[in-house]
Amino acid sequence: MMKLIINQQTVILEDDSPRPLLWVLRDELGLMGTKFGCGAGICGACTVQVDGEATRACITPITMVEGKQIRTIEGMSTQLADGSWQLHPVQQAFLAEQAPQCGWCMSGQMMTAVSFLEQNPQPTETEIVAAMGNNYCRCGSYVRIKKAVAQASQLLNGGDT
Amino acid sequence: MTANRQKWRMSRRGFLIGLGATAVTATATFTLGAKIGLTEYRQTLAQTANVDNETPQFGVVQGFWTDPDIWFEITAANKVLFYSPKVEMGQGILTALGQIAADELAVAWADLEIIQVDTSRGMNDWGGTAGSYSVAAMYPLIREAAATLREMLRQEAAIQLKVPIVELVAQDTAVSHTSNPATTIPYGDLIQFADGWEVPTQRPPLKTAVAQQLIGQSLPRTDLLDKILGHATYGYDAHLPNMLYGAIARPPTVQATLRRRDEGNVWAAAGVQAILLEDDLAGVVANTRQQAYAALQQLDLVWDEGKLWQQEEIDTLITVGNGLKIVIQEDGADVDSLLSGDDPDLVSMELRTPLAAHATLEPQAALADVQADKVEIWTSTQAAFRERGMVAQALNRDPGEIVLHPLLLGGGLGRKLHSGAAVEAARLSQAAGKPVYVGWNRTEELRHGFLRPPTHHLLRGKVAKNGRIQAITHDVASSEIILSLSAGLRTGVLGIDAGIYRGATIQYALPNRRVTVYKVKLPVATGPWRGLGLFANNFAVESFIDALAAKAQMDPVAFRLLNLPASELGLRLKKVLQAVADGADWGGALPDNHAHGVALLLDVHTVVAMVAEVSVEESRVRVHKMVAAIDPGKIINPAGVTAQVEGAIMLGLSSFLFEKITVQDGQIRAANFDRYPLLTMKEAPDVSVHLLESGETPYGIGEPPIGPVAAAVSNAIFALTGKRHTQLPLDG
Repeated sequence: MMKLIINQQTVILEDDSPRPLLWVLRDELGLMGTKFGCGAGICGACTVQVDGEATRACITPITMVEGKQIRTIEGMSTQLADGSWQLHPVQQAFLAEQAPQCGWCMSGQMMTAVSFLEQNPQPTETEIVAAMGNNYCRCGSYVRIKKAVAQASQLLNGGDT
Repeated sequence: MTANRQKWRMSRRGFLIGLGATAVTATATFTLGAKIGLTEYRQTLAQTANVDNETPQFGVVQGFWTDPDIWFEITAANKVLFYSPKVEMGQGILTALGQIAADELAVAWADLEIIQVDTSRGMNDWGGTAGSYSVAAMYPLIREAAATLREMLRQEAAIQLKVPIVELVAQDTAVSHTSNPATTIPYGDLIQFADGWEVPTQRPPLKTAVAQQLIGQSLPRTDLLDKILGHATYGYDAHLPNMLYGAIARPPTVQATLRRRDEGNVWAAAGVQAILLEDDLAGVVANTRQQAYAALQQLDLVWDEGKLWQQEEIDTLITVGNGLKIVIQEDGADVDSLLSGDDPDLVSMELRTPLAAHATLEPQAALADVQADKVEIWTSTQAAFRERGMVAQALNRDPGEIVLHPLLLGGGLGRKLHSGAAVEAARLSQAAGKPVYVGWNRTEELRHGFLRPPTHHLLRGKVAKNGRIQAITHDVASSEIILSLSAGLRTGVLGIDAGIYRGATIQYALPNRRVTVYKVKLPVATGPWRGLGLFANNFAVESFIDALAAKAQMDPVAFRLLNLPASELGLRLKKVLQAVADGADWGGALPDNHAHGVALLLDVHTVVAMVAEVSVEESRVRVHKMVAAIDPGKIINPAGVTAQVEGAIMLGLSSFLFEKITVQDGQIRAANFDRYPLLTMKEAPDVSVHLLESGETPYGIGEPPIGPVAAAVSNAIFALTGKRHTQLPLDG
């Protein structure tokens, strides 16, 4: 038996054998927002937060994240009483920039951006490119992703762009 | 309108409009009835869209496409459901088609719900979502269907309000009286009278361009909020509570076949629920994904590996002169006399592009539930009907028993025109007697799908002292692109694959030209990749035009302007060229060690020009900025067009800089992105896109902008270094 803390909820897994966090999230817990891309930690589509660090869920065995705070894209927004969604500033910025095309890489992009901006709230463009430069976007939305991360940084710092 | 009520009844399946939410479920069991009495003009339109009802055509639509009943449902709550036969793979098609529908039907944007249709509704879109065709093909059909329904709603409102129909206007999902706007009936109220409705025989009036309110607006994409939330369901996310996981044994080489197959120790492996051992396919069904893949290793399989192909042999096969030959463009009597011998004024060039993968980040995936009386499939596909047909054939079932639900695609790029995952899941589900999910991994994706074929180009040409091109020949060799999809598709000319020569012809004004295509079928599976031959052919042709400009000692933009024809098309090409030159400040000052390159393209009536700004430092090429100008005819959603151009630039640049599949000892070498790296934000240039609109007919947008990327960048490198890159990728 194993305890995982996912989006501030404790989840008990009967099977504690080491297996990638990604498939536990998707296949066992139904959290489909975290995507598979390569299974080798290269493309970044599966990025989640573990204790605040951007982490590639496809190469992270659950045994390494037991008891740690895991955040997925589903944990970034809150549904309000009227049914609408309160988005994280990074999500607001990605939506405002219309960053996604197919959208498959976007959970990973946004989770990478959230972790990065928590550690570097006012990054330069060069720092954004360095931080986001290991997440593939096959649709080629890089220009918009870069703008969205810059805009999110302003939102997080109280700006109203 | 009431005078002609008899001819066109809409009664064959009750009347779905008005059934609202229950109708969404109910439609799943309907199949479109036999041919009904089309009026004369409607027949004409149907035939335009539909050359032959019996033979699937690539890029055309089948069915009764001007029938409002097939496109729309209106609920009592005044919501309008719009069914899209085209699928969303990132190109924004749902939003664009929704705009067309809502505009003509006079529906408030917030009242429209856009649904990706399943195969049970009767929208037999055999061509699928491909070929930059969706808006161009759907625009007249959706408008006519929407206008027909709008007029029927006005007609009903006239009866209810007891006023002449000319005094009624449809606006914001309601019909109102022009002189008394307070008198308004929502569509949702009008459809309670729908039982007696009949479709008018006369063609409905269509909105004029000035009356269009949603078309031409950069409306935000309707599918993005769910994607941002992580709630959107893609094919890879398909799920049923009791589903099992399937895995397929993949051949060890590109030509391997199963010689012997046996259970081995597979039943001893954890979680195994079923196995499939047939001549062409061996697979395992287990409780979890990991168990299914692990159990594959326990099957006792013996493969005939076939010839162990090497990359050099593939390159040799794809060489001008080999294979089936056909001339696809020929003008003038002096091609051979002008371009023969070793005349010092001759310019010649030889180029090669490699095998390349689609590498959509979402791999192939399908969930199949095969039952005795019904089969359901959920999958990531660009061609729901062809995929359903393949499942029917594999299971030996009637296609009518199969409902295929196309889910969102995490990228398509042509790869999902022929996924294969649906058939695999269906065969495993049949073996297991339970729903089975198949989701490919990256190695399967790179090694066991199909690839963009390699190309080889030879060009020769001559330019006069005055800068006028006198003659060009372009010989291109490649492998199958569209023919590989289906033998039944009539897409080739005399067996030559039209995909190969897309973008290969010469659009400039010159008296002598000849374009010749050679096709060899490779041992490696090849097929459509965004733009088909466009990326390679435009790289070759526009690199060559640049070389002719250099030979003539002319500015590359001025040279192209001089040599473009005076036709309407030539004028559109000149206009985008001029726009991109202005936008990029062509000829203006650039930082030290930077240079501009230009390329121009015509494809599916859309014209595109691009300028690349490039620097080279210690032989490292960096693309700083790409400026594009595009005229895709009429524009439905400007922001959507811009996004497509931005994305095509990144894909083209990735291909230009990095992407190459190689074959070694019979196997594709790359098993993951470590050996097949893609462009990242680190290499991504700034992009600026200039939109030019022309006329009232929308052309294509998805593929054309992939064309000029490579030549624009390559021509900039030439301008800077005097060295011309003729083999892709640059880092290869």
